[in-house]
Amino acid sequence: MAVDKKNIRNFCIVAHIDHGKSTLADRLMEKTGQVSERDMEEQLLDSMDLERERGITIKLTPVRMFYKAKDGIEYTFNLIDTPGHVDFTYEVSRSLKACEGAILIVDATQGVQAQTLANAYLAIDNDLEIMPVINKMDLASANPEEAAMELEDILGIDASDAPRISAKTGLNVEDVLEQIVKKIPAPSGDGNAPLKALIFDSYYDNFKGVICFVRIKDGTVKKGTKIKTFMSDRQFDVTEVGVFSPKMTETDSLSAGEVGYIVASIKSIEEVEVGDTITDVNNPAKEPLSGYKKALPMVFSGVFPLDGSKFNDLKDALLKLKLNDASLSIEPDNSTALGFGFRCGFLGLLHMDVIQERIEREFDLDIITTAPSVSYLVHKTDGTVLTVTNPSRLPQTTEIEYMEEPVIKASIFTPPEYVGPIMELCQYKRGVYKDMVYLDKTRVEMKYILPLNEIVYDFFDSLKSRTKGYASFDYELAGYERSSLVKLDMLLNGEVCDALSIIVHKDKAYERGRQIAEKLKDVIPRQMFEIPIQATVGGKIIARETVKAFRKDVLAKCYGGDVTRKKKLLEKQKEGKKKMRSIGTVEIPSEAFISILKTDNNN
Amino acid sequence: MAGIYVHVPFCKSKCTYCDFASYPREISKVESYFACLYREIEGRGRSLQGKVFDTVYIGGGTPSFVESKFILGVIRQIRKFFTLSENPEITIEINPGTVDEQKIKDYKSVGINRFSIGLQSGYDEQLKKLNRIHTAKDFLLTCNLLKGENISADILIGLHDQTAEQVKKTVDLAIAGGVSHLSVYALTPEVGTPIYTDYLNGELLSEDEVADIYDEVRAYLKEKGFYRYEVSNFAKTGFESKHNLNYWQRGEYIGVGVSASSFIDGRRFTNTFSIDEYNNAIIYNKTPEVASDIIEGEDACFEYVMLGLRTAKGISTKKYRELFGEDFDKKYSDVLNKKGRFLDYDGDNLKIKDEYLYVQNDIIMAFMK
Repeated sequence: MAVDKKNIRNFCIVAHIDHGKSTLADRLMEKTGQVSERDMEEQLLDSMDLERERGITIKLTPVRMFYKAKDGIEYTFNLIDTPGHVDFTYEVSRSLKACEGAILIVDATQGVQAQTLANAYLAIDNDLEIMPVINKMDLASANPEEAAMELEDILGIDASDAPRISAKTGLNVEDVLEQIVKKIPAPSGDGNAPLKALIFDSYYDNFKGVICFVRIKDGTVKKGTKIKTFMSDRQFDVTEVGVFSPKMTETDSLSAGEVGYIVASIKSIEEVEVGDTITDVNNPAKEPLSGYKKALPMVFSGVFPLDGSKFNDLKDALLKLKLNDASLSIEPDNSTALGFGFRCGFLGLLHMDVIQERIEREFDLDIITTAPSVSYLVHKTDGTVLTVTNPSRLPQTTEIEYMEEPVIKASIFTPPEYVGPIMELCQYKRGVYKDMVYLDKTRVEMKYILPLNEIVYDFFDSLKSRTKGYASFDYELAGYERSSLVKLDMLLNGEVCDALSIIVHKDKAYERGRQIAEKLKDVIPRQMFEIPIQATVGGKIIARETVKAFRKDVLAKCYGGDVTRKKKLLEKQKEGKKKMRSIGTVEIPSEAFISILKTDNNN
Repeated sequence: MAGIYVHVPFCKSKCTYCDFASYPREISKVESYFACLYREIEGRGRSLQGKVFDTVYIGGGTPSFVESKFILGVIRQIRKFFTLSENPEITIEINPGTVDEQKIKDYKSVGINRFSIGLQSGYDEQLKKLNRIHTAKDFLLTCNLLKGENISADILIGLHDQTAEQVKKTVDLAIAGGVSHLSVYALTPEVGTPIYTDYLNGELLSEDEVADIYDEVRAYLKEKGFYRYEVSNFAKTGFESKHNLNYWQRGEYIGVGVSASSFIDGRRFTNTFSIDEYNNAIIYNKTPEVASDIIEGEDACFEYVMLGLRTAKGISTKKYRELFGEDFDKKYSDVLNKKGRFLDYDGDNLKIKDEYLYVQNDIIMAFMK
């Protein structure tokens, strides 16, 4: 039986990271009896271990709830959780398309932050009704008036009747439920019109195949419906439809206004694109819904198995991860230093981190990752343009006419006292100042154009340390700009280690070369011979360090009882060696490749 | 070649670096311990009929600290239940200040013909810091009692603020005492020993400093006619310790007493470290062993290489083939290639180049499959 769509509310929750999004979602589920308090596991929606540990949401998860409002009517709520990190802005925009309203949470102790703003704008762009909520009222430092004023001043959102809640203690959460009913519009759409279902996410299940998360805009879908998508002509028979409560629960049908899932024996995630529209083969809609633009990877890094023989295992792992993560790009790569592996593209640094950690945890593989790079446009002298995401694939200097690098539009929120340090940092990171707005007495918004390759290189850490964690940051891609870039190579014992090469701005090459050489000197253990470490640009040495040879590694004594002990000791050392990669005659610990990133935290 | 090791777990007081089974506070158990030890010797001897043993080594602890009747008993028992070859090398470890003329006479009377003296340092303040019970002068007095005998001395490097000069002076002292063999050990701070705290606080010499002193002392010893035949062992030609060489050649040995290790018929095993547990096991006819491993296949091959490459002479790859039925060159072609510049190899004899003997772990590890 279809639910009367005027009693449906589809909404998401958006907020700056740590402002309490997942906690409020949990509380809503608890108050609507979706889960009993006793069964409640902290932050239900963040089901990946990684999500729970880091306190972030990576995959979006929809959930259905029933709420009996004060008007006596039982409403169906579909909450679509959204990731909170800037890397996943794209996923946020996907879930917004499936909703009519957005709860905007603001931390009463911190007020509006960079991602509050970014997410609020996204919601406004998608014509969503914004319902502000002021959270963390249980904290002594809560200042709801200030937060409400900021919402009004900065975003033009009337926050006078915003519920002042504590998602943690449950204070005033009922007000949120009531306001959802009153403020968020019921879905429009026609249950009898031809089927239009927006795929806002999908994931791969080993038993059922691809599971499409959908928002039904028009029409009805049920088991047996023959469906197709607009972007491909392939047809599938629906084998199951259902809702999230929050586990997947089969229902008879889904119709206009509802949020749920469709299973249709779809074998590969490539066959259904997120953002595409599903319709009924026998009664097709004429036009698809407006979709989304595809998420483009912005950060690239080499991923290699620590143990070269595990290449196929790594391949399987990456393909499996890609099944549920269309934004991950992978292509085979090989490096003289690291052998066969993959060049992977990520949405951002957090995404990269998350993928790497999942490979190690879920697939029990030890991997080596190289320093992240961005995608450069190389205009060659022969008039062709090449996209280079891997420094070792950069053509010879003589073949390059000029190069372009991606830049971003950065928006930084900070208390005024940190404006100076942030300007210094942005200048150091080759930023171009655009604008600065005093939002109120306590908050300044600074706008800069910054090269993305400076962002992937420790910008977050520097920003945090310079502002004691008070500044927040959001960015969007702003095209390409011409730039003087050079390839910096590192030589170990006279041999180029391609996996350590990076592309840097000409003016920074000397400094970075020196820093990386110093860092490598620290991380490369002493070996049986002296190892010169050199940084070069275009064959010219710009920095040099030396790892001295070690002098003694022998066990002084080895008599009767020491034989077993010595053997064990060597076995342990050998085990440690397995974590190393041989570059020519030099052995390098796997973390060296990524550690070169973390060299100038003091700047 | 086969050897017998006898452990005496008693001493006057514990040195700060010592992590051996030695219990100065349990001296009251000396009678019962030796009674049990005699019984173990009898049992082991009976089960090893048919094997001929070439060396006996009485170590500790401080074997010379206990009354000589116990040592005499040990030798008597060994001769009774084991078959010794014609001129066995019989060594006893002694510490200055624990022996007199009578004790030496007793030792010699049962055929003990090699005396290994714990000297450690020629500097009294260093000895005191190590909680040694003797002075440099005591060492010379002990040597006087051993005139004309085959004497060895142990020397430590890596002590607090030690200089190469001091170690050389200590070598001089040993030579003055008439030694024909010297063991020069780099101090290894073991967890749980008092000196480990000093190590944690950075009071001991660094590995690099130890290596520097070692190099200098090695050159000095060469000048004095002592050649290095193993990482830490130097001797005048013909005075190498047969008992110890046997370990590195992967020969068989039986160890009796607390904490003693054995390698017999492809099995390595070790006795309990506790005197009480040991005594109980022997009295109730149970095994005092607490660890036992059959060494076979690749483990055996690796041991042969690992132990043999400790010696200056190295290993014979022909013998390797005879022992393990595998072609050495083929099996380790990649290692010989990769580590070749640290090795001397003539097609049969394989050894680590002189200058790399002290950094051999890295080389040996490459042979581990």
